[in-house]
Amino acid sequence: MVIPDFTHKMSAHCESGALTSLLNHAGLEISEPLVFGIASGVFFGYFHKAKAFPFPTFIVRNKPGQMRRNIEKRLGVEFAEYRFKDPALGMSRLDELISRNIPTACQVDFFYLDYVPSWERVHINVHFMIVIGKEEQQYIVSDAYFPKIMKLDERSLEKGRFAGGNMSPEGFLFHTRSVPEKIDLETAIRKGIKKACFNMLSIPMPFLGVKGIRMFARKVTEWPNFARDTEHLSHEIMKINILLEDQGTGGAGFRFMYATFLQQASSILRLPTLKDLSQELMLIGDGWREISLFAARIGKNRDLGAEKLGQLGAMIAGRADAEENFFRKLSKVVH
Amino acid sequence: MPTTPDYKLKMEIKTMILDTLGITDVPIETIEDDKPLFGGGNALTLDSVDAIEIIMAIQRIYGIRITDQHIAREVVRSIDSIALFIADNRENKAI
Repeated sequence: MVIPDFTHKMSAHCESGALTSLLNHAGLEISEPLVFGIASGVFFGYFHKAKAFPFPTFIVRNKPGQMRRNIEKRLGVEFAEYRFKDPALGMSRLDELISRNIPTACQVDFFYLDYVPSWERVHINVHFMIVIGKEEQQYIVSDAYFPKIMKLDERSLEKGRFAGGNMSPEGFLFHTRSVPEKIDLETAIRKGIKKACFNMLSIPMPFLGVKGIRMFARKVTEWPNFARDTEHLSHEIMKINILLEDQGTGGAGFRFMYATFLQQASSILRLPTLKDLSQELMLIGDGWREISLFAARIGKNRDLGAEKLGQLGAMIAGRADAEENFFRKLSKVVH
Repeated sequence: MPTTPDYKLKMEIKTMILDTLGITDVPIETIEDDKPLFGGGNALTLDSVDAIEIIMAIQRIYGIRITDQHIAREVVRSIDSIALFIADNRENKAI
């Protein structure tokens, strides 16, 4: 049994992609960049010293789940959500939903998805994909990272949905419950942009938004103090590239996707300035991609002396300046 | 010696890769068009860092910014796939 008329699409990011596919299936034609932008997905945070982050790390988007909540609030869409302690109950609820032809998004640990080649599997507890059917012991899955519909063994899905660890999925499911007949896209876009500007410029925390990028720029030169050895340090420095480019970010730490959002928003709001800002953000994104490459290169070559880390810090500081300038201009366009 | 536009583009791409990555010990004529550039099987064996270098070189030289990493992965699979991508997208600058 497969849910009829479900259209599988590849997306840059799993969560915004799953949201977009569910909304499209419910009859709301909207692109992934618009979903990402309305949900104020673009962000930056630098984290260290918390129990969960023994080694410094950073994020380039808002926290998992926030996009869904923002979309509900700004578009008036309603999602049904479920969490489970009992795996058997969690699996039977999923079966029940798909038997009613309701495509259902699941939060899973990426590692247990048996259609992913073994060398690409890593433990990430916040991957989202959509279950659209079941045939015997296999679920039919629309995963935005893959070009076609995939099949997933029942046991693997259960393991993925009920994996332990930080941000464990707890069997989390969600699906679209209702979409309003009339949506005020213009207001939603303006609110999404305003919130993104607030998040990047005005949260009074030294590790969030542009201030977080500045902290990253300063602190990256201290990373050798926290590493066990050169191998560990090189692994962590190369991870900068993975976090910016290779975890469904749409490239350059979501900056390219946000630039595409601004381009689409420019047409909808009839504001040509947003198109100019979109192009400016593409160039800022190119700078983040240079950082990715630089980090990957020095990590690969174990060339991790103070001079190179200083250079890396200076490049990151350059992005802080550029993004502060960019978000200040953006906030004035939609005031 | 073939001189079709397709052949010229593929030679350009091979030169771009060798120059970008600073590879001097692989003769250009040994690089096969249809064999994977990653994971062995071709005269060039590249890794994920090399892939980013190639993506940025494509942007620098051909003016095409590949913003989606899923597309990027498909593009850099072989000389054939890079050539096809460049030929298809020379006008459309951001993918």
